[in-house]
Amino acid sequence: MATTTASTTPPVSVTDPTNVIVETRNLGKIYRDFWGRKKVNALKSLDIEVRRGEIFGLLGPNGSGKSTTIKLMLGLLFPTSGRAFVFGKDATDVAKNERIGYLPEESYLYKFLNAEETLDFYGRLFDMPANVRRERTEQLIQMVGLQRARRRQLKEYSKGMTRRIGLAQALINEPEFLVLDEPTTGLDPIGTREMKDLILRLREQGKTILLCSHQLADVQDVCDRVAILHQGELKELGRVDSLLKVQDVTQIHAKGLDEKTKLEIKELIARSTGEMLRMDNPTTTMEELFLDIVRESDQRPGRRGSGA
Amino acid sequence: MRLSPDQFWTYFEWLFVHSALFYGFLLVLVLAVLGFLIGFVVALLKHGPAEGFLQVSKLIGELFVVDIPGTSIRRVGAIARLAVKEAIRKKVLVVVAVFVVAIMFAGWYLDQQAQFPARLYISFVLTFTNYMVLVLGLFLSCFSLPSDIKSKIIYTIVTKPVRPTELFLGRVLGFTAVGTLVLLLLGSMSYLFVVRGVIHEHEAIEISSDGVSGKTSRQQFHSHEFVLDETGNGVTNETKGHKHVVSKVGDKIVVGPSIGDLEARVPIYGMMRFTGRDGQVANDGLNVGYMSEYHKYIEGDSLCSAIWTFKGVSRDSFSEGGLTYDMTISAFRTYKGDIVTPVGGEVRFRSVDGSAVTEPFPFKVKEFQVDQRSIPFTGLKGSLNEQPAELDFFKDIAKNGEFEVVIRCQDRNQYLGMAAGDLYFRAEPQAFWWNFIKGYISIWLQMVIVICFGVMFSTFLSGPVAIIATLSVIVLGFFGFFVDDIVKNADSDVGPVASLIRIPLQSGSGTQLDLGNIPLERTIRVVDKGILICVQTLSKAIPNLNQLHTADFVAYGVNLFGGLLSRHLTVCAGYFLMTGIISYFFLKTREMAA
Repeated sequence: MATTTASTTPPVSVTDPTNVIVETRNLGKIYRDFWGRKKVNALKSLDIEVRRGEIFGLLGPNGSGKSTTIKLMLGLLFPTSGRAFVFGKDATDVAKNERIGYLPEESYLYKFLNAEETLDFYGRLFDMPANVRRERTEQLIQMVGLQRARRRQLKEYSKGMTRRIGLAQALINEPEFLVLDEPTTGLDPIGTREMKDLILRLREQGKTILLCSHQLADVQDVCDRVAILHQGELKELGRVDSLLKVQDVTQIHAKGLDEKTKLEIKELIARSTGEMLRMDNPTTTMEELFLDIVRESDQRPGRRGSGA
Repeated sequence: MRLSPDQFWTYFEWLFVHSALFYGFLLVLVLAVLGFLIGFVVALLKHGPAEGFLQVSKLIGELFVVDIPGTSIRRVGAIARLAVKEAIRKKVLVVVAVFVVAIMFAGWYLDQQAQFPARLYISFVLTFTNYMVLVLGLFLSCFSLPSDIKSKIIYTIVTKPVRPTELFLGRVLGFTAVGTLVLLLLGSMSYLFVVRGVIHEHEAIEISSDGVSGKTSRQQFHSHEFVLDETGNGVTNETKGHKHVVSKVGDKIVVGPSIGDLEARVPIYGMMRFTGRDGQVANDGLNVGYMSEYHKYIEGDSLCSAIWTFKGVSRDSFSEGGLTYDMTISAFRTYKGDIVTPVGGEVRFRSVDGSAVTEPFPFKVKEFQVDQRSIPFTGLKGSLNEQPAELDFFKDIAKNGEFEVVIRCQDRNQYLGMAAGDLYFRAEPQAFWWNFIKGYISIWLQMVIVICFGVMFSTFLSGPVAIIATLSVIVLGFFGFFVDDIVKNADSDVGPVASLIRIPLQSGSGTQLDLGNIPLERTIRVVDKGILICVQTLSKAIPNLNQLHTADFVAYGVNLFGGLLSRHLTVCAGYFLMTGIISYFFLKTREMAA
């Protein structure tokens, strides 16, 4: 099984301008009412770049301008100021969409179609010939695990299944650049893990991913770089590892230490100028615990927990 | 059924002689300039003059350079297929069920004892189908796009390489396909309904002792009388708009199937002119003061005449029986006299140069019915180069297929009334089923226009508002001629502002507006004129669905002219283009996520 860990280095040169997939210059958006009066200043002078082959996270609380940024990049909204470029073309240029995959916040799909029809429809929108569409549909249905529900109308799908078919439609054209808006929303922990693994696999395939999420752990797990927005302004931009690094705290992980050695370490720290903050046994995450239990249950069905 | 002269123009006459092409280009030019100006004003407010001009120019350029060439048939097909699936899965075919129920119980509300049952049935099914299909087109086209925008499904569409042209084309084609399917079903059922309702058989009963005359059995609330000729063949009298061929087979008299009720007469119309009392060409006939201005009149026992000029008539168009022609002439009496005897007239056939002319064929006016007549092709008594001669119609009179028909009224102080469509020659009839299909093609064209407008409005309005807007187009399309009438008949004192002022003044529209202030009255006239011109211009941009409604042609058994249908097709294509271009600009400039 693939493990969820963020890569430490993006696989491409950041200085090469041809490696910039998305570029925003002084991008701003003001929402106005019917009479043209200013309602909300949703985005203010955003300057960011998304580079080829990286997973770029957009973070921020509700109303911070994340979705507006994505919509401006996709041409769903027009900027009030500045410009957004995708693959060097203006964001409103339809031609750029040939190389883009987009998974919206909620899977906005036709509920009266089934999975096969949905993928076939979106394949046609990419002008794909019938044999290619069939092949891609088959691959994607396998990939998102909807084999048994392929002929069911989407209105009968659970939220998790709808997310999966949403992701499949975003990948129908084997996009170079994938925009994922809250990709783990509605997924259970297993689904969330699978989604994160898939995002990493896609990155390994050379795809560039822009991810927008409230789930900070997800962003931390998969993103190479993040931009943090608040009230429409860019507050922080950089690599995840360097942003999270606490510079003046040292962390040592060791195994099999006896009490005497632990005491010696404490004394050593006390003798030096350092301050002992904490020494205890690490805990796993709830996500890891849950996944271990489910895996064990799959391997040994019928065994019940003893309780504590 | 009344035909106006413009209805029997050929397609090319309409396009070139009557300047439809010119006016079409003019309309395109006006709309293009208007569209550019509106677009520029909007862009000017947003971006300033230079950038605004650039934006609008870029938008127009993209349509022709990028979006039209880049339109993919597969993408259009995908959107069209989706529209079809959506409509079918949302149970649009329930319309067919409603129609089935309506015609199942048609016997309850259609008068089975009507004088012309075929006309009634055909008129009913065509009109009912017409309105049903228009309502279907209205609902299909107006809600789809706004619903996609509201549910945000549009996000996953426009983030694919889908162009505005494809969004419009796909939807229009998809809804048209659904409408066509429904129309095919309704049309098939209608045809069966009409044919089954009209076709009937009689038996010969009450045969006279000599065996040459008799009466048929009573079927469908009627019976016929017949007289056989010496060969044992004959035709019944006309009842309920049809006759039967009767023939003697052995000792038995057999009554054949009905003729005349399900037919498609092929009329050949001519252009009409009048001569006045002095025998000189007059622009119009006489007005006898009737409310209807459809008919113009000629005075009896005078040099007044009505002259029709026919062109392109050939021998091949007629059967062996002779040159058949129909007249629907009305009479206006200035004195009662012998009320039983109809007003008399005469008809002559003559060559265009006047060298050959037949003797007059007298007739008595059969009011409110079609007077069917025929003349032989040869042996016509008349004069050739002012010498008595026996004339060959196509050799002496209709040289190059062109000839004239002259009608005069014989009775002094009585008048005959007629319009261009009241005299026509009957060529070999076409099959009824084909005329029926042509009637449905007219309905189809109306449906396509409604769908185009529905999709256009739905690109910038919400579903319910788009419905109201499209409904307004339909209503104005059917009743827009009122606007024309108002503008045409309105003199400067009955405009909207003047009328508003007249209400509190309790001043009738027949009098001149008198406010005691001449500058004010002039201003009101100018404002009214401006309003009426605007209203008229606006009404021209709206399709005249009333003209496209051709149910009467089928119901009255008149072949729907190919030229007329081609014109309607061209008009439909024009509206398709117009709505397509407007939709393109709205889709291109609309923020889908706003």
